Formats: sequence, structure tokens, C-alpha cells
Amino acid sequence: MNIVESFKIAFSSIWNHKIRSILTMLGIIIGVAAVIIIVAIGQGAQSMMTDELFAVDKNVIELYYEQDFSDEEGMMGDFYYEEPEITQEDIQILQALPDIRSVIATNSAWGSVTYNDKNAEPEITGVSSEYFSAQSIEVLEGRPINNRDNNGMNRVAMIDTVAREKLFKENEDPLGAIISLDDNPYKVVGVYNSPIPEQFRWSEGGEMLMPRSVIALMYGSREVDRLAVIANDSERIAETGWLAADTLTEHKQLENGSYTTYDLSEIENEINQMVLIMTLFIGSIAGISLLVGGIGVMNIMLVSVSERTREIGLRKALGATRGKILFQFLIESITLTSLGGLIGIGFASATAGLITLLSPIDAMVSPIVILIGVGFSAFIGIIFGILPANKASKLSPIDALRYE
Amino acid sequence: MMKLSNIHKTYGNGALQIAVLKDINLTIEPGEFVAIMGPSGSGKSTLMNIIGFLDYPSSGNYELNGEMISSFKEKQLAQLRNQHIGFVFQQFFLLPRIPAVKNVETPLIYAGVSKRERRQKAQQMLEKVGLEDRIKHLPNQLSGGQKQRVAIARALVNDPSVIMADEPTGALDSKTSEQIMELFVQLNEEGKTVILVTHEEEVAAHAKRVITIRDGMITDDRRQDA
Ligand SMILES: Nc1ncnc2c1ncn2[C@@H]1O[C@H](COP(=O)(O)OP(=O)(O)OP(=O)(O)O)[C@@H](O)[C@H]1O
Ligand SMILES: [Mg+2]
Repeated sequence: MNIVESFKIAFSSIWNHKIRSILTMLGIIIGVAAVIIIVAIGQGAQSMMTDELFAVDKNVIELYYEQDFSDEEGMMGDFYYEEPEITQEDIQILQALPDIRSVIATNSAWGSVTYNDKNAEPEITGVSSEYFSAQSIEVLEGRPINNRDNNGMNRVAMIDTVAREKLFKENEDPLGAIISLDDNPYKVVGVYNSPIPEQFRWSEGGEMLMPRSVIALMYGSREVDRLAVIANDSERIAETGWLAADTLTEHKQLENGSYTTYDLSEIENEINQMVLIMTLFIGSIAGISLLVGGIGVMNIMLVSVSERTREIGLRKALGATRGKILFQFLIESITLTSLGGLIGIGFASATAGLITLLSPIDAMVSPIVILIGVGFSAFIGIIFGILPANKASKLSPIDALRYE
Repeated sequence: MMKLSNIHKTYGNGALQIAVLKDINLTIEPGEFVAIMGPSGSGKSTLMNIIGFLDYPSSGNYELNGEMISSFKEKQLAQLRNQHIGFVFQQFFLLPRIPAVKNVETPLIYAGVSKRERRQKAQQMLEKVGLEDRIKHLPNQLSGGQKQRVAIARALVNDPSVIMADEPTGALDSKTSEQIMELFVQLNEEGKTVILVTHEEEVAAHAKRVITIRDGMITDDRRQDA
């Protein structure tokens, strides 16, 4: 009797007891599916949180100005916050540091844009020329914002593909078009592809880039309100951040405050830790349900084997050895539970797909989890199937045949 | 040749111990047709099971063609059940969910016979017992007599030298019993050793040798003309 034959017998026996097989598998299906879904959601949530934190780039680190408190001022209300202006010179000093690949210095605005009768509310970022290489911005049509735009306060704008779709017809040429932003005219000089992945965009209104000097003028904001550096080496991101902050503090000879940075890797570790604890916690609940499912399987296997003790006796009377009986039952219970495991995996994958589709979480079913799922269910099959089968196979053929 | 010497079989232990077979001495030569008779509970089935390697004696020797059975390993015993003996049970013991032909094939699976040969031999055997038109039927679609024929076909399929049947006609009416008995007579004429247990004189009348058991002991052993 070969393996193929055993699998055939196993499948026909499972098929012949459809209801019981399904009930047996149910515990495994639910347990395996629950474990896989939970792990998938956990991993998805984890990667979503870390992705969101490091949405743009793994080696971008932000710089912040922090004002010192002194005892006399501060708490009592006569404290006032004054953040130093970032100048082009500051940017160049940072740019010159060997660990820094580039500097992102931007400001931002919101506004309502109209062109002909079309309307959009894009997110507006004020930039200068170095922004384009720093963020690897893909210019699709026209040209990027350059230094002349900033120095000359040219009233120009670039729109991203989303905003272009909102404001222009597909065959319309946006270059040179005069759009109106909060009732002020600007000329469109380029179209670009937003570097921010779709799921991390704040609004659906698209984006727009303008010279940051123009935004500072028009909206009365600071010329640079976001300062970040891009490190050459993402491994040394924290050191690079601190180097930049200290260099800036020193260069500007600040007395009432200093530039600092956040060590994001610490936050990332904390998030990972938290997600791990959550995954372990819910996972262990799912594990318990899998165990309960396993005990259910054992119960039904015990019933099945004792119900089939006569069959075992008959097969022995017809010449089956103990080994062959055991092998057959082993194959049968493994087939049963693995089938349950596979159905569970299928169910879990479908659910994970649905979650990915309907929620921001990218639920990932990893191959390792699938492997563990199948392995574990086969293992349950071996443990809970072989014990009762072994018991039955030890009986003399006549004792097994007489079994009531 | 099957030779049983001083065979004892006891069940239970201590005060509850009961001796079912007491000092059985019996030799059966190839080609014999033996009927075992006796009152209910006398130990007929127990003896049959021991002869057919389905059960073990508590003490005594069982020699098969000069070899001691007690020295056989589990695998060798399985092989004997598979190749040497064809066993027919009173309750048929067919596997309920597979068709007749598959039931007949079962011993061949354990003999390691190829699928095609299995199917061919099983069909041949079903023809021999007159069931060529019931090959695909499930056991519950067969009458008692037909079930027993399937069981006999299964016992024959590995071409064993000994056919053993424990009350093969016990669940059948007299006409069907007669047909089944003719089958056993035919098998014996073909050279097979036939050993069967029965309560019925008409059935025993087909045998060439009748052994009577009472209280676990052979009380009579005589040859007769069938
Ligand atoms: N497993 C067992 N445990 C205890 N006692 C048993 C067992 N098997 C059989 N016996 C006893 O052995 C005795 C003989 O049983 P056996 O089945 O051999 O009788 P039998 O001659 O075949 O009877 P019948 O004609 O009714 O089939 C009976 O008294 C029975 O109770
Ligand atoms: Mg009996």
C-alpha cells in the first residue's frame, strides 16, 4: 500500500463523513484563520504606523526650535515665543555638512484655487530649488520652481497630477495658464508627480508647489516653517539630526533657545514593542481557541477511531499490519486537519484582502505564517489522530472486531 | 498442515477467570472440509479465531506446516492472515461505504497488488460467487446472501489455501444457505481446506469431518461421507 493509495482512502473517508469532517475541521479552520488574520492585521498596523512616521523617507529628520525657559519669565505669562528666521545662509551651512545629503526648508498654506469654472483645494507647499532633488520630485511637464522664482518673488505655481485633474481637462495644456488662488493670479509653470504615497495624503484636493518667498509674503507666514535634513546614511540618521541641530544653534549664536531633533528610531521601537505586545496578547487568545479547536478534533478523532475499531479489526483480519493501520489513520487525520488549515488560510487570506481593501491597514499574510498554520494543523492531526489510532491498532484483530 | 497441541484459552484473571478452551488437540490436513459444531458458548468461535490467527491461545502450541506460530512476529501473522487464510464472518463485516468490488479488493491492497490487477481479480471473484452484476453496489444495497457472497469473494481473492467461516449461514434463510454451502463444497473440490462453524445439521452434512465441542473440549471428531 503506497502513499497515494493512503491519501485516496483518506479522502474518500473524509468525503464519506462530510458533516463530521467539516465539524472536525471547523475548530481548525477558525483557529488557524483567527491566528493568521490577527498576525496579518498586527503586522499591517505596525507597518502602517511606522510607514506613516517615516512616510517620506527613512533618512529624513526634522529640526525644531526649542525656546529655553528661565525662572523669571515663562510660566507667568510674560513669556513670548520667538523663533529665529532660517536664512538661505543657514541652509547652505547645513548643506555643507558632510553627513547631510540635502536640506528641506519649506513653508505651507491652504487655499482655494479656481481656473475657469473649475475649483480645487490643494495643499500648498512653499519651496525653493533644492526641494526637488531632496524629495526626488518627478517633473512631468514644464519646469521646477527655481532660485530666480524665490528671489524675484515670481507668482508661479506647480500643480501635481491630482490638482491638474481637478482644474484642467485632459487635453488642456496647463502650462502658462493663469489660475487664481484666493483671488490672486498665479501662472502654472509645471506639473509633477506627488512623492507622497496615495494612502498617506492628507486631502484629496491635490498639491501645489510655490516659491516659499511668495507664500511668506502673501500669507504673512515665516519663510521657513519646516526644516529637515536628509542624511547620507540612514543608519546614522539620529546623529546626523543632532549634528545639524547643534551646528545651526552654534551658527546662529542663539541664547534663548536651541535647535533639537526627535530620535524617531526610539519612537519606532516603542511602536514595534507595543504592536508586538498586542499581537502576542490577541495571538495567545487565538492560540487558545486553536487549542480548544484541537481538543475538539481529538474528541472527534477518538469517537471516529473507536467507531472504526471494527474497521481496524477487519483490516487486520484481512492482513493489514499495525504499521499500515497507523499509517492510514495518520494520513487520514493529517489530511483532515491540513485541509482544515488550508481552508482556514484561504479564509484568512480573503479576510485580509478585504481588510486591506476596506481599511487603511495593509493586512499582510506572510508565507511564514501560512507555513506555521499548515504545520500546526498537521501537527494537531498527528497528535490527536495517532494516539487513538495507536490504541486501536494494539488490539488483537478479534478484540477490535468484537468492539461494541 | 495445521496442528494444535494442548491449546488453552482463558479470559479474565483471578476469581473471575474462565477457561473457554481446555486442552484442545487437533490436526487439520490440507484439503479437508471440517465442520465444528456445539452448543452456544462452547468455544467454537474462540477456536476458529485461534486457528485463523485472529486471536492468541493462552497456552499450548500451534504449528503451521511445522513452524511454531508463537515465534511469529506481528508482521508475519498479518501476512498469514492476508495470504494463507480467507476468513468469512457471520456478520459479513463489509466496509459499508465502499462498493462490493472495493471490499473484495481490500486484502489485495495489503498484499501490495497493483491497482489494475486488483480490480481484475476482484471482478473475477465476484463472478465466481455469482455477483458479476452487483460489482458497483454498496453493501447496504445488497441482500444478506449477496453480502455473504461478497465476503466469500473477499476471502478468496488472495487465493488462500484455507477458507474459514464462522457460521456463514447463520444470518441467512435455508435456501440461500444451501447456495452458499454449494460454494464451499465447490471450493473444497478445488483443493482448498474449508473449516466452518455451524449449528445446523444440514450445513454440517456437507463436511467430510465433524468436530463437536462442549465446554471448551473436543468431545467428538468423526469423518463422514459428504
Ligand atoms: N473477550 C471475551 N472476554 C470474556 N469472555 C469471552 C470473551 N470472548 C468469549 N468469551 C466467552 O467464551 C465463551 C465461548 O465463546 P465463543 O464465542 O467461542 O462461543 P461459541 O461457541 O462461538 O458460541 P456461539 O455458538 O453462541 O457463537 C463464552 O462463554 C464467552 O462468554
Ligand atoms: Mg460463535
